[in-house]
Amino acid sequence: MSEHDNVCKETVYNKLFQTLSPSIYNFIYFKCGNVAQAEDLVQEAFIKLWENCAKVPQAKAKSFLYTVCNNSFLNEVAHQKVVLKFTKRATPHINEQSPQYVLEEKEFEQKLNKALSNLTEAQRTAFLMNRIEGKKYREIAEILEISVKAVEKRMSQALESLRKEIKNI
Amino acid sequence: MNEELLHKYLNNEITEAELEQLKATDIFRDYIQISEFTSNLQAPAFDKESAWKQLSKKVKKESKVISLFNYKSLLKYAAVLALIVTGFLYVTNLSTTLTAPLAEKKSFTLPDQSEVVLNAGSKIKYSKKSWDKQRTLTLDGEAYFKVAKGETFDVNTTQGVVSVLGTQFNVQSRGTHFHVTCYEGKVAVVFNTTNIQLSAGDSVIIEEGEIISQQKVSTLQPGWMFDESSFENKPLWWVIEELQRQYKVTVTFENIDKNTRFTGAFTHTNLDAALKTICMPMGLTYTINQNGNVLIYGAN
Repeated sequence: MSEHDNVCKETVYNKLFQTLSPSIYNFIYFKCGNVAQAEDLVQEAFIKLWENCAKVPQAKAKSFLYTVCNNSFLNEVAHQKVVLKFTKRATPHINEQSPQYVLEEKEFEQKLNKALSNLTEAQRTAFLMNRIEGKKYREIAEILEISVKAVEKRMSQALESLRKEIKNI
Repeated sequence: MNEELLHKYLNNEITEAELEQLKATDIFRDYIQISEFTSNLQAPAFDKESAWKQLSKKVKKESKVISLFNYKSLLKYAAVLALIVTGFLYVTNLSTTLTAPLAEKKSFTLPDQSEVVLNAGSKIKYSKKSWDKQRTLTLDGEAYFKVAKGETFDVNTTQGVVSVLGTQFNVQSRGTHFHVTCYEGKVAVVFNTTNIQLSAGDSVIIEEGEIISQQKVSTLQPGWMFDESSFENKPLWWVIEELQRQYKVTVTFENIDKNTRFTGAFTHTNLDAALKTICMPMGLTYTINQNGNVLIYGAN
């Protein structure tokens, strides 16, 4: 292992945290919808990375962090009911929209949040990684250690149940 | 077909035309609406800065554990290094031992160019490293020294210490017998609490811590240096012990008073001649058997 590959170097470790921690945080939040839990698991995962810094090459750090997070998440026995609180990003032309549109949009947002919360954890994680984080199927497949076909399936299933719930079908 | 286009859309790989085609179906139009809306959502903000601060605190605590681990692995190297260093010190401090085996005389030069000749069955020990600071050696047996000029030169024996300044002298230290002869310069002999000075030609014999004889010698070097052992009023067993050392033989007695006194000398070069010179004056007979051992018996 070459010197600059070493995660034990504080600059390398810090850079990994700066680039990877928001995604890891999202990943856990998509699963559990709990900010505190997500923050804790992110910290836990990065501590584990530090403890194993000599064994984990920089290139493997990302998958190490996701795997550790997923495992710790699964190990937490009590899974409370997921209540997601996503908010709409501020969009530049919002003021030009009619009050009715804004109201409708607000309603839609609430419905979507509820529908997202009712997805299975597997569907939701894949769907939100794609939609919110803009990750391609290939990357999601890599992180979740599943096939691209499986990601497609989860995406389709997610959209299907979201539509059904929002449209009250 | 539309399923495929949907995934293209979700992967951001769709063309305008394909998107229009997809939007033609109600269900897929809904899917696109949901997808678009969702992509504008965001999770509750993650405060990276404070998260990092918290993490580095914990990691610093952790790094104590890590540094301990490193310290442990360092111990391995430290142990090996210590072993090498002590080994090196041990070897350099190891005293040098010079030995003259039975039936052999050996001549050595000490680090300061002093010369020492060891008589048969003798050894000296000294530390090469501290020789420059302290010219000290330990003698067991008999040796003739020709000391180079310089600071004190000490010969330690079990019976006493002989200290000199540039001189030539002989020290015989066998059992309880301690015999020092000075051939040149001055020699100080210290034993128990006594300190006596010997000048050139002086000789002192000390037996069990008591001076039993002080005499003058006329020779310039001890007899054994010329392959001859000389004795003055010595018990027979003493003479025979020296004979055994010089010839590496075992001597057995029969019907003999071993304390009979002997004055004389024997050669180191011819056993038969040596035995003759010892036995004839004392009226004794001897035989040398096949394996070289000697039997001396009294004439009845």
